[in-house]
Amino acid sequence: MNENLFSSFITPTMMGLPIVILIIMFPTLLFPIPTRLINNRLVSAQQWLAQLILKQMMMMHSPKGRTWALMLISLIMFIGSTNLLGLLPHSFTPTTQLSMNLGMAIPLWAGAVITGFRYKTKASLAHFLPQGTPVPLIPMLVIIETISLFIQPMALAVRLTANITAGHLLMHLIGSAALALISISPTTALITFIILILLTILEFAVALIQAYVFTLLVSLYLHDNT
Amino acid sequence: MPQLDTSTWLVTIIAMILTLFILIQLKFHKYSYPLSPAPKTFKSTSFPTPWETKWTKFYSPLLLPQQ
Repeated sequence: MNENLFSSFITPTMMGLPIVILIIMFPTLLFPIPTRLINNRLVSAQQWLAQLILKQMMMMHSPKGRTWALMLISLIMFIGSTNLLGLLPHSFTPTTQLSMNLGMAIPLWAGAVITGFRYKTKASLAHFLPQGTPVPLIPMLVIIETISLFIQPMALAVRLTANITAGHLLMHLIGSAALALISISPTTALITFIILILLTILEFAVALIQAYVFTLLVSLYLHDNT
Repeated sequence: MPQLDTSTWLVTIIAMILTLFILIQLKFHKYSYPLSPAPKTFKSTSFPTPWETKWTKFYSPLLLPQQ
């Protein structure tokens, strides 16, 4: 049971070749490069979407923060498309791998924090002590703020992994429950199937929301530090 | 839990770094976001020549002193 349930999260290798590389690179095929002034429908729709997201996200940043625009739009599109593709049956979702999410979260968070320390050293260090703390509490509060700073990338990675993994597991379990219930009691199977449909709609939302949350938080860490 | 099997972590991370930092950005850096078509103000960019700034008589052949 354990073996079967988690088998969709094993990194796919075919006869020793790591085809996970191809699976991770696949969403890039869905974003064609615009070559004309007026493009076809797909490219125009993607440009419109990218402009919408960029305007919303980059409005709150200083010019220094806006240099990260390409990185953030790539991040949200990559995570969004990867999560949505993972909702296809029998597909492998790279964002369920803790390795990939840690690899995304740690460099981006570290880049934002190091940028803050380089250019606004005093303001970055000031984040460790909130205004108006009573003097005896200062050492403990500095420790707490340091811990909360270092937990940011871990939380980013684990949040994304856990949400997507949990959603996929639930769909798997409820789907097999519905299938097993057909022979026992079709009414209960129908109810379970309706639950499955509702869960799938939720998973579509979660796929997009998680991409948004990830990118928003990176953007927030950037804003604190530029 | 298969996600904690660290033997595949290197491959996954390298593939992700390649995709996220190079491939996807190559796709998005070519996007252009044109401004919506609004009518341009018709300001003239040509300036009158020095002899046109001041109205002077113009010389037509019939107005020259008759010889």
